[in-house]
Amino acid sequence: MYRSRSAGVMVLALGAFALFSSPALSETLRISHNLGLGGRESLDPVSPNRFLPAIAMIYDRLVNPGKNGLPEPSLALSWNSSADFTEWTLKLREGVRFHNGEPFSAEDAAFSLKRILNPKLASPVRSFLGIIDSVDAVDATTLRVQLKQAHADFLMLLTDYRVRMVSSKAAHGDLDAVLDSGIGTGPFKLSKLDARNTTVLAANPEHWEGKPGVEEVDIIAIADQDARNQALLAGQIDLASVAPNEVGLFKTNKQFVVQQVPAGKFNPIVMRTDVAPFNDIRVRKALKMLADRESLRKLVIGDANGSLACDEPVWPGDPYFNSSITCPTDVEGAKRLLSEAGYPNGLSLDLYTASVEPIMIPLAEAYQAQAAKAGVKVNVKVVPADGYWTNVWMKPNRPFVVGNWGQRAADQVLNEVFRAGAKWNETAWNRPDFEALLDQARSSASFEERKSIYGKAQAVLAEEGGQFIPFFRNETRVYSSSVDNVSHVPDNMLPWHKITKK
Amino acid sequence: MLEPASITDGAVGSADQKGLNVNSSPKRSFQKLLRIILSTPSGVVGFGVVAAHVVVALIAPAIVLHDPLAQDPNQIMAAPSWTHPFGTDLLGRDVLSRTLEGGRVAIAVTALSALLALIGGAAIGITAAMRGGWFDSLTMRLVESIGALPYLLFLLVLANAFPGSAFALVPALAIFYSTSIVRVSRAAALSVASADFVTAARVRGEKAITVLLREVLPNVLDVVLVDGALRWASMLLGFSSLSFLGFGVAPPTPDWGLMISDARNVMAIAPWAVFWPCVALSTLILGAIFLADAASKAVGLQRAPEGLNP
Repeated sequence: MYRSRSAGVMVLALGAFALFSSPALSETLRISHNLGLGGRESLDPVSPNRFLPAIAMIYDRLVNPGKNGLPEPSLALSWNSSADFTEWTLKLREGVRFHNGEPFSAEDAAFSLKRILNPKLASPVRSFLGIIDSVDAVDATTLRVQLKQAHADFLMLLTDYRVRMVSSKAAHGDLDAVLDSGIGTGPFKLSKLDARNTTVLAANPEHWEGKPGVEEVDIIAIADQDARNQALLAGQIDLASVAPNEVGLFKTNKQFVVQQVPAGKFNPIVMRTDVAPFNDIRVRKALKMLADRESLRKLVIGDANGSLACDEPVWPGDPYFNSSITCPTDVEGAKRLLSEAGYPNGLSLDLYTASVEPIMIPLAEAYQAQAAKAGVKVNVKVVPADGYWTNVWMKPNRPFVVGNWGQRAADQVLNEVFRAGAKWNETAWNRPDFEALLDQARSSASFEERKSIYGKAQAVLAEEGGQFIPFFRNETRVYSSSVDNVSHVPDNMLPWHKITKK
Repeated sequence: MLEPASITDGAVGSADQKGLNVNSSPKRSFQKLLRIILSTPSGVVGFGVVAAHVVVALIAPAIVLHDPLAQDPNQIMAAPSWTHPFGTDLLGRDVLSRTLEGGRVAIAVTALSALLALIGGAAIGITAAMRGGWFDSLTMRLVESIGALPYLLFLLVLANAFPGSAFALVPALAIFYSTSIVRVSRAAALSVASADFVTAARVRGEKAITVLLREVLPNVLDVVLVDGALRWASMLLGFSSLSFLGFGVAPPTPDWGLMISDARNVMAIAPWAVFWPCVALSTLILGAIFLADAASKAVGLQRAPEGLNP
């Protein structure tokens, strides 16, 4: 009796062992996503709820961002424009097929771009691609784009991480349809969509760039940053971005590779320029002037993990970055401005933040301490991370919040975040003269002239805008040493299909 | 003055035999309880730890070596040293100073809530026992309904409605944690309500409130205080959980729950930033539980014949 029972226990134990310890498929790359949209993650690349990084693996772009953000061929092989930069013609790659076997053609490319312009889909991308007037498929491999206004860097806009090619047939040509079927031309095909748990993608052996480096990608939902680090340490996932101050967990461990990629991610302290007291430019200026940016960077991310900023949203790696803007700390000047604005005894402000990114609470606390020196009492209000973007961010009754942006090219960030009516215009910036500058830059044929005009636009924001940007932060990526060929580029540019696993 | 014991029926037993305070004041009952607590080892430890915590919380601002809010960019997550004996945290703040001051808000908020729960709970419980009837039934059903609510979830909702204002939680904490005090005080009062000296007081024509305060309260106070101490211990844990989740104390005020939450992501790099607030919080809670335990033993021994429950 005893013997048979113990044998039974052993069989059970072995069974459990086999179940739970099935050797990790070496051909499966396991990554995580932060469930930032609470399970509403959509496979429609232009949706505000776009599912990162799944859309980057399922769909291809016409052009990829290359060095300095300049376009490199992907589904489009070559391009040229009319002399006045209002008409662009793109030659598309031949022989590319969607995951359902249908060939990719200029019809699909035209359809994909038209969807972005459809107001019903409320895509944030529309705020900078709204300059497209019409798109036509001239023939199967030729796409013609007519712009409302000239734009010499139009192709740079197409390198955005959401401008991806979808199948018009899969959507039955319906421009209003939300595309959640996951039919793209990308290196991975959708096997199972489950944003709250594990989303499974399978390699697309027919991909035009060749067979991807791994057979399968599992995207596992892990909302908590600490849990994500633990999953990485325990080998449950192979690759993740970590906060700069968490690097110590992995640095000395030979099983991991730490990759520091210079990048232009930024966390602004956002002041809504249409709500008191931030509608007073003196208050905005004072709240920026009082800050010691070097010390903020050192405190929150460490000197080595990012570059200093002067409230211009264009990062130093961008060809249009204006390097002449300075922003010295001036606590006395800040006090004087506040006094002029009617706050001689300082003021008290509620700053909302959440642990959406690990540095968002420390940044608020570090800024709070500096603001106190200028007589500004900042009350840090920590609110839940889930729902932060829908319930707190960009709400007029929460005019002072910590934001979070990925790296964007100059024209993109300036248009996507600072045009009146843009979906993600978080500072409610409404300045026709500023928008005129952007239009002027777009239509200029000379790079130097564009640089000078974009530079002016950055200077306006630094001087008067509602974003306080103390620093840009790098991408800090950690991956298991069994993973290889992880390119030294930010996430939005990462060629996932090249990654291999031993 | 009529001696209540002298008119008791021998079969029921005298008030003294039952261990009741026939001629007592709340103050004397409290002193007696304290004396008994301090006669047991766990009572001494519990009392000592809690008293030490309270004293530290009171004088912390005067004894800390560093400003607990001062951030130092050159000392981020620094290991313990002579300048910073407990090391520094994510923003280079001194962990020792923050730990010493970290209990102030938690102790103040929970002590205030516990006091409110104690006074309110005892008043309602005793009144329910003395009046009986529909008032008693209604009170007890209400208490059971509150007990059925998931209190942490409820507190989270409240804390989210008033972010950063720890004292806004006092009424809610008091209500949630008073339910057991209502039950305990009612049960204790029921066993006293039928005692002859209470009947005697009524017969004398004493007002209800006088009977309640002078005859009943002294006899249930010890039991109620014991339960109050236990409630306080669990309230401390509840409040720190809220801070840990980001809903109790607003940054940058030093608070143990918040400190643990802030530093947990870097636990493997800077364990000291998590360790010391954990030590402080757990010793205080353990101390409060020891104290309550010693008190309940003391009271239990004395009141065992009637039992603590009806």
